[in-house]
Amino acid sequence: MVRWGLVIDLDKCTACQACVVACRVENNVPIGGEEEVRKERAIFWNQFFSEIHGEYPNVRLHMFPRPCMHCEDPPCVPVCPVDATYKDKDGRVLVRYDKCIGCRYCMVACPYGARYFNWFTPEYGEGHGNHLNPDVVRDGEGWIVGPSPRPRGVVEKCTLCVQRIERAKEEGTPLGSEHEGGVVSACAQTCPAFAISFGDLEDPSSDVYRLSKDKRAFRLLEDLGTRPQVYYLSEG
Amino acid sequence: MKLTRRDAIKLGVAAGAAAYATYRLGGFESLLRPAASGGYSSGALTESRVASVCLQCPAGCGIVVRVVDGRAVKIEGNPTHPINLGRLCPKGQIGLQILYDPDRIKQPYVREELWQAFQEGSLSAYLAAETRDRTPEDLIPVPGATADEQWDNALEVAAAALRLIRESSAPGEGPHQLLFMSGRNRGQMGGFIDRFCAAYGTPNHIGHSSICADGSPMAHWATQGWKAYSGYDWDNTNYLLCFGGAFLEAWRPTTRLLRAHGTMRQGRPVRAKIVQVDVRFSVTAAKADEWIPIKPGTDGALALGIAHVIIQANLYDAAYVQEHTFGFEDWTDPNGAQHVGWKNVVLQDYAPELVSGITGVPVETIERVAREFATTRPAIAAGERGASMQTNGVYNRIAIHALNALVGSFGRVGGPIRQREPPLASVPAATQDENAIAGGAQPAFDFRGTIYYPLAGKVYQGVPDFILGKPDPGGRILVPPYRAKALLCYYTNPLYSTPDNARWEEAIRRIPFVMTFSPFMDETTAHADLILPDSTYLERWHDDVIYPSLGFPVVGLRQPVVDPLYATRNTGDVLIQLAQHLGGTVAQSFPWADFLEFLKARYQGIFASGRGRVGDIPLSGIASFEGFWETFAREGVWSDPPYAFEDWAFTFATPSGRFEFYSQLLHEKLEHLAEEEAKKIQDPPPSSLVDQKLDQILEGLGLTARGDRVFLPHFEPPQYVGEETVFPLHLVTYKLMVHAEGRGANVPLLREVMPSHLRGMTNWDTWAEIHPETARAYGIQDGDLMWIESPVKDDRGSLRRIRVRARLYEGARPDTVAMPFELGHTAYGRWAKGMGQNPNRILANQYDLLGGLAAFSPTRIRVSPAGGG
Repeated sequence: MVRWGLVIDLDKCTACQACVVACRVENNVPIGGEEEVRKERAIFWNQFFSEIHGEYPNVRLHMFPRPCMHCEDPPCVPVCPVDATYKDKDGRVLVRYDKCIGCRYCMVACPYGARYFNWFTPEYGEGHGNHLNPDVVRDGEGWIVGPSPRPRGVVEKCTLCVQRIERAKEEGTPLGSEHEGGVVSACAQTCPAFAISFGDLEDPSSDVYRLSKDKRAFRLLEDLGTRPQVYYLSEG
Repeated sequence: MKLTRRDAIKLGVAAGAAAYATYRLGGFESLLRPAASGGYSSGALTESRVASVCLQCPAGCGIVVRVVDGRAVKIEGNPTHPINLGRLCPKGQIGLQILYDPDRIKQPYVREELWQAFQEGSLSAYLAAETRDRTPEDLIPVPGATADEQWDNALEVAAAALRLIRESSAPGEGPHQLLFMSGRNRGQMGGFIDRFCAAYGTPNHIGHSSICADGSPMAHWATQGWKAYSGYDWDNTNYLLCFGGAFLEAWRPTTRLLRAHGTMRQGRPVRAKIVQVDVRFSVTAAKADEWIPIKPGTDGALALGIAHVIIQANLYDAAYVQEHTFGFEDWTDPNGAQHVGWKNVVLQDYAPELVSGITGVPVETIERVAREFATTRPAIAAGERGASMQTNGVYNRIAIHALNALVGSFGRVGGPIRQREPPLASVPAATQDENAIAGGAQPAFDFRGTIYYPLAGKVYQGVPDFILGKPDPGGRILVPPYRAKALLCYYTNPLYSTPDNARWEEAIRRIPFVMTFSPFMDETTAHADLILPDSTYLERWHDDVIYPSLGFPVVGLRQPVVDPLYATRNTGDVLIQLAQHLGGTVAQSFPWADFLEFLKARYQGIFASGRGRVGDIPLSGIASFEGFWETFAREGVWSDPPYAFEDWAFTFATPSGRFEFYSQLLHEKLEHLAEEEAKKIQDPPPSSLVDQKLDQILEGLGLTARGDRVFLPHFEPPQYVGEETVFPLHLVTYKLMVHAEGRGANVPLLREVMPSHLRGMTNWDTWAEIHPETARAYGIQDGDLMWIESPVKDDRGSLRRIRVRARLYEGARPDTVAMPFELGHTAYGRWAKGMGQNPNRILANQYDLLGGLAAFSPTRIRVSPAGGG
């Protein structure tokens, strides 16, 4: 069995947000624009958060990217009334975009805010539509699970770049950060600080397996029992 | 309206049902029906991955572009490029939005009046105009039935204008009246523009580095004898003391530095300590182990205070200092004159108590950091723009740099690195006719290297004052002996990028002919008479030599990853074509069919060296140049690792062959200028007269030091603009990671990145960080609009001000307001125009006169609530 996951080393992370941008390019996430960002409607499958503590000059700033956690026990899945969102056999939480009815129960259920509702027909802007990624992945029944097309009015989210992974499987390319040239999610691929590792959490020889057991490893909101497949390594 | 969770669910169901109906009615039935098969598909008929080089900053990262059916759809890093090892920063990721920007300039444009003058043969009158008002509405596509015809016409207009200027026999006129301003000249492009200027006959290729970070190369020149940026062996250092250079956001080469942060943290025996000295709590400061807030412009004093502690406590590397430095102890020169050594100057002048008063850094911090730095080796003291682009920038950087000598870091593993150049073949120099020789011999328009700006190689930000005859920041009215008749701009936008940029509004009216090569309608291009648009970096052949960093030579090759989308042309090609239109020796100087052919001529040298590797392939195994070039284009990179440390003659190219605390080069330069001045009075001049002239020069430069201290690392007090009683706060500017050095505002994907350090803020608007208590004192709340007013006055004598969103930030010094550069464009396409504010509107035009470089942090300001929300 395979269980894809990420490990994000916050000690190496430089808060550059290359992961955020690479994700948006890879997955055809449209520009929201000033108004949408202000209303917190802009879509970031991988979103960046920060929290500042202390008073001048003793200030600490914690910054981290937040992809979907692909929980082992995902609260978003059982609430879906139409079986559009599901946990796939590789341990990913995916959305069948053409099956989703846009009720957003899953958004309410997700404790990480990792799901986004696309309020408008995706507009990529005149010209910019030319760089859309043409990749499509369908599940066993033929439903679209990533990355496009996503019609208006559905919930969308991080798929751990299902298109990159499924393609690599079909082409027999090695997968995971531990392999030189191994295929990984777009965020892990671009990370300039080598802070994000992608791979199979079930495979003892993988980077993510090893790092997830590191003494610095933790998961977000661990006490909720969601058992995220995204681990962080603490700073320092 | 605040929604409850119940409301949200109700609304959600309604919206969801509506959306479902839309698919059915909107012809999305196919989406709703499961397709026959699962799995991956892209529908691609053709797909390829093309190696090239990024151009979003001067790093020169290797990229691989995924091209599907002729469309570029994703950019990733090139794994074999040593700068980025397959990774990319956010700016590198969004290159496709440059390529596919709908607001690109798609063909040559000409001002209608110029086209008419060209048609009617009245170009001389056009070029004789005293002033010219221009708006972008006057621009028309250059006429022509085909793209080639349009370009031929455009080149002929350009050549006709440049020929008239070049061949004018009126007194004081000639080719030197052309100013060629340039910015991001990567690879051979800067030299190609130099060549054009030499062949044409102007000394006025004015690069933009005097508004960038020129203070550092000058410090390296004074102390190490070579004028370039320095690399650092980040991966092997154990202590990084970084002054005013946000290496995770604003420094170069970006991706390399981001990786270095990781390698300094994990996967090594000792976790390196990072101490960030900065005027604000940047992302870099946040990720460092310690942030030392400092008063703007006082970084040099802190470095000297640290040196004091190290020397006092005898913690410096005495053997290294003795073997590899010059001027540490008191010394006697060959003429028998006594000189004070740096050691004694530091011990006398920079006690921690005094330094603490200047910098605002507690004495205990100075003492502790000094001890840590000296005892945690190898250690690096680095600094960049925040320290170097100040009124005292060159000396600040010299003082910081000297710390590396104290702890024996130069030339050693884990210390600073001098970048080696690739072994390119030389090409014959440009051919010069009488016009070119006479023009080239004229004094430069920007007074570089004169008594006014002794170390400057260019004074970019001074150009509008030289045009208008307005006083420079030293109060000196410097008027070149000739008028600027033509301005050419390549990859630079002075009307936006220069401090107090409103100076350009009048200055550009005084230039009769303005031509740019910009692919975008930037502020300067909007004032052009003629636009010869470049292709974007994803559509052209253009090499790249890496930004100084790794030490060993690395070159990359840009190539068209897709065919040019529009009728644009590589500026390298256009310079050749323009030269051909100009004819004579100018044409003879450009004997290549195109820029690619020129590149191949230069890169013969790399093949001939037989060294290094192309991608991962050893060059020695490649039999022919054609084979090399084909491999180079496929792999995108050639490199020749590793870097050899302890090459002392290479590390120190000074007269003494050592690190010079006492800079003999600086002494020689200033002494020479003083002698030249003295000779104007008496030749040969007596030494007392030379001394007197030197004193006058130093006085003119606003320097306080005299005697040996001038040539030693020392602190010059910063010169702020504005009375503290009226303008109680400092204004500093900074750059975010997603800011492509002022060029990223037209990229929506970058604009939509939320700042890493501020919650609830978008990059669609300009904010300023202000300390909560300071804000409170002025009645300003978080998120309010706020006026920032500076002593810079507009034409009517009113103080200039900008309105920004106030963000209360615990990482702001109580006396300092910080705002990012990048927005506030008045042109530059739909995503940039009219959004946010440009700090250059209110920044004073202030310099480090010694280096002729712009100072970006001396402006004092006051703030007030601006109402609204």
